[in-house]
Amino acid sequence: MPVTVETPIEKWNGKVREVTLGATQAEGGTRTSTVTVGGSATLPFLHFEGSVPHRPVIAIQIQDVDPQDWSPALRAAWGDTTKDVVAWAKKAAELGPDLIALNLRSAHPDAGNRGADEVAQTVKSVLGAVGLPLIVYGPGVAEKDNDVLVRVAEVTAGERLAIGLCEQGNYRTIVAACLANGHIAIARAPIDVNIQKQINILINDMGLPLDRILMDPTTGALGYGLEYSYSVLERLRLSSLQGDGMTQMPTICTVGEEAWRAKESKVSEGVPEAWGNYAERGVIWETITATTQLQAGADIVVLRHPKAVGLIRKTIDLMMAQ
Amino acid sequence: MDKSGVRKNPDGKCIIVFKPSGKIVEAEQGTLLLDAAKRAGVEVQTPCGGFGRCGRCKVQIEMGEVARRQGPHLTQAEIERGVALACMTVVKGDVIVYVEPKEVTRLAPPQETTAEKIALPIACEWQRNPRIRKYFLNIEPPTLADATNDFDRLRRELKRQAGVDNVFASLQVLKNLPTVLRQDEWNVTAVLESDNTDNGNGSQPSRLINVQSGDKTKTSWGVAVDIGTTTVVAYLVDLLTSKVVDIASAYNGQINAGDDIISRIIYSQRGDGQSQLQAMIVKTINDLLIELGGRNRVKLPEINEMVVAGNTTMTHLFLGINPKYIREEPYVPLTTHPPIVRASELGIRINPEGGIYAFPSVGSYVGGDIVAGVLSSGTFQSGKLTLFIDVGTNGEIVLGNADWLITCACSAGPAFEGAGVRNGMRAVPGAIEEIWVNTETYEPTYRVMGNLPPQGICGSGLLSSLAELFVSGVIDKGGRINRALKTPRVRVGEHGAEYVIAWASETQHEQDIVLTEADINNLVRAKAAIYAGFSVLVNSVGVTLADVEQILIAGGFGRHINIEKAIQIGLLPDMPWDRFKYLGNTSALGAYTTLVCQDMRLLANEIAAKMTYLELSADNSFMNEYTSALFLPHTDTTAFPTVQSLLDSTRERLALSGTSVET
Repeated sequence: MPVTVETPIEKWNGKVREVTLGATQAEGGTRTSTVTVGGSATLPFLHFEGSVPHRPVIAIQIQDVDPQDWSPALRAAWGDTTKDVVAWAKKAAELGPDLIALNLRSAHPDAGNRGADEVAQTVKSVLGAVGLPLIVYGPGVAEKDNDVLVRVAEVTAGERLAIGLCEQGNYRTIVAACLANGHIAIARAPIDVNIQKQINILINDMGLPLDRILMDPTTGALGYGLEYSYSVLERLRLSSLQGDGMTQMPTICTVGEEAWRAKESKVSEGVPEAWGNYAERGVIWETITATTQLQAGADIVVLRHPKAVGLIRKTIDLMMAQ
Repeated sequence: MDKSGVRKNPDGKCIIVFKPSGKIVEAEQGTLLLDAAKRAGVEVQTPCGGFGRCGRCKVQIEMGEVARRQGPHLTQAEIERGVALACMTVVKGDVIVYVEPKEVTRLAPPQETTAEKIALPIACEWQRNPRIRKYFLNIEPPTLADATNDFDRLRRELKRQAGVDNVFASLQVLKNLPTVLRQDEWNVTAVLESDNTDNGNGSQPSRLINVQSGDKTKTSWGVAVDIGTTTVVAYLVDLLTSKVVDIASAYNGQINAGDDIISRIIYSQRGDGQSQLQAMIVKTINDLLIELGGRNRVKLPEINEMVVAGNTTMTHLFLGINPKYIREEPYVPLTTHPPIVRASELGIRINPEGGIYAFPSVGSYVGGDIVAGVLSSGTFQSGKLTLFIDVGTNGEIVLGNADWLITCACSAGPAFEGAGVRNGMRAVPGAIEEIWVNTETYEPTYRVMGNLPPQGICGSGLLSSLAELFVSGVIDKGGRINRALKTPRVRVGEHGAEYVIAWASETQHEQDIVLTEADINNLVRAKAAIYAGFSVLVNSVGVTLADVEQILIAGGFGRHINIEKAIQIGLLPDMPWDRFKYLGNTSALGAYTTLVCQDMRLLANEIAAKMTYLELSADNSFMNEYTSALFLPHTDTTAFPTVQSLLDSTRERLALSGTSVET
């Protein structure tokens, strides 16, 4: 006897806010295309329940110094291009991502300590080499971030870059630069829903519109807190669907950085044989972390390995197919 | 002592001279300066309990050799100038030490509301069954024909003239009996203590606690004492009229051994620390009694009864019970219902036979002070859903009504009492008690207790400065000072960003009075702990804050709370002001009520038994509520609509006047 099972449909009051990255010439920038994320009126991929107007997107992460500390598996995949950030950006763009995420590592005191003007020029040249919208990360040292990112924001005014990271201890300067130059701020919190909301509020209090804020609730890689970041992403999505305007920003997850930090992605020797081929292992680590984050509600995943980019694109295709 | 000051006595003893008092002690080499100071009777403050954590016990080595242990509280320059932390420094030879006299501890705290205003907070038939009764008896002297012994003779007359049966006495009282009986031709006053709380029919035995010659029935005295971690308050009560005749208060003598109960417990575990702490509180209480007795011409042995209310640790220390296990998981006290002890057992200088009743507690972190508070607040008889908040270091909270009570303690820390804050101080003359900050110029105006030049900021001043700096936009919702503001008041000092409340030229000590970002964080943490505490409590019984019909605020600090500002920073929930009520020192009021009306002891037991204790450390929603409250006023801004609209209107006004709120 056939049994009819009714699919339960949840009625939500809110939805994720739409944020558009990048600006075309007509919009005051130089991008050949823009990317809009967010807009979901349901939990991830529940097409039967509510609208999912935009697919989650992929950013490929590159940096402006040759990343000698990266896993050999990653370095092998990119080859020599990592020595020249412009060549790297072009090669990354060929893989068909939605965005490029540029780390301004060279400004870090331990990695060259380049000055703001020089670094800003790097950003300009990357913008000149690729037409995709850009995410720009400072070196992660408050003082340098404030110095470098302000300069970057100024020379790229109107490009609608996503700029980060803004944290509770250091956000004012970066937010002010985004505010003045038409960029988007990335709000980072340490795997904590409350703190995420607090930094969102602080940024919005400075006058930056809510559709120019992205949330980065901090990613934990597989085996390194993935379940915590899953839970936080899910709670943020639930809260935004329940109508809390201060948690409705789309989310961005730095998957590649975290997954390739794991011992399992880096170490080839002295590990059990059952762990399998080491080069593949890293890709799998990154892919599983990214897939999980997407299932939990990530709107942007920032990846590192070309193979992971392909696998995740395929995953997103499948999840978006109705 | 020679010029170098590094001479050692032949017997190895060092001579330590304390200036400016000139007190001298001999001590072994290697003696801690702090211990030497104690022996010399020189007061050195150690709010952290003597662990080198707070840096408040700085002294100046004027001459001689000492060895310092490393610590973060001394700069190299200070060490070169001879500054040392008394708790971290041992003597190596003869030493001359200068100890800055601490005016603050010698000043009396502000007196409670004048005695005349104190009335029994809840109704009780105190005359029906007084615990202390006095009987004037004219006794037939013994003869050869009637050779009944002295005590039986007294008992016979008590039975005959007063109808009191079943009287017993201690040897101490009996020893005096023969003399006293014959002193005034067999005219005596017998003082009886009757524990009739069970049924009131007088069948319980009565204790004869004193026999005095002549008629002494015209007066009858008792004292009610609140043993606070910081402040001790004593009420002198006329037991014949139930009136509070006078009130005295002083700082708890244990303060120098640590600001909070944890530091005190730690202190009690070192050497004879526990008996030192007991001696300190007994001395504090005796000093208060001497003050009250002197002012009111009452001889202390005429005081026949004492009721004390304190938190569980204070009660343990007062009674000489080891508080060690209060601090260790699973946090059990020796007892929640201490037995009645005689004053002589503790060295309290009232009638040595007088009983001392300590309020029952609920558990290690909800003590007799809270039971007394709930009793005097009437929460237990109210039909209204009531939230009772004791805004103190321990932050005890009670929720309930006549039918049920649930309680928790949320360890807010001493920030609102001025400890752990750079320029914090207790509420004494010289303390900034209220601050206003101009929203456009960021210039402050302040009010100082006693109209003196300011010396520091007390709890109410800290609360108002946090609220004012927040509303005026000097600090953001995360408690961070906006360093980009164009005002000399905001600067980055040695300890990070800070806001200058008073310039050196205005202050008593000619140093700037500032509020640092670290201070702000401490205050925000304290308020978050209290807000999270009652949020969890309210949620745990399935109601919401909006359901709470009245909020009663207690504690010494509670008298100063400005409701408006407390709501602005999210210490108290955003509710109509008429739902809040100040109660003042509810612990002392509860002790007083119980002193006058012994039936209240049954109620106290009932309340203690009725309170369900919620252990927040075992409740996983507390951390979430706490982080959520670590924001001004709160992460859930919808819970603070009036604050949000105030911020919005401030922002609008500034926009109109052209002053930018942004960096």
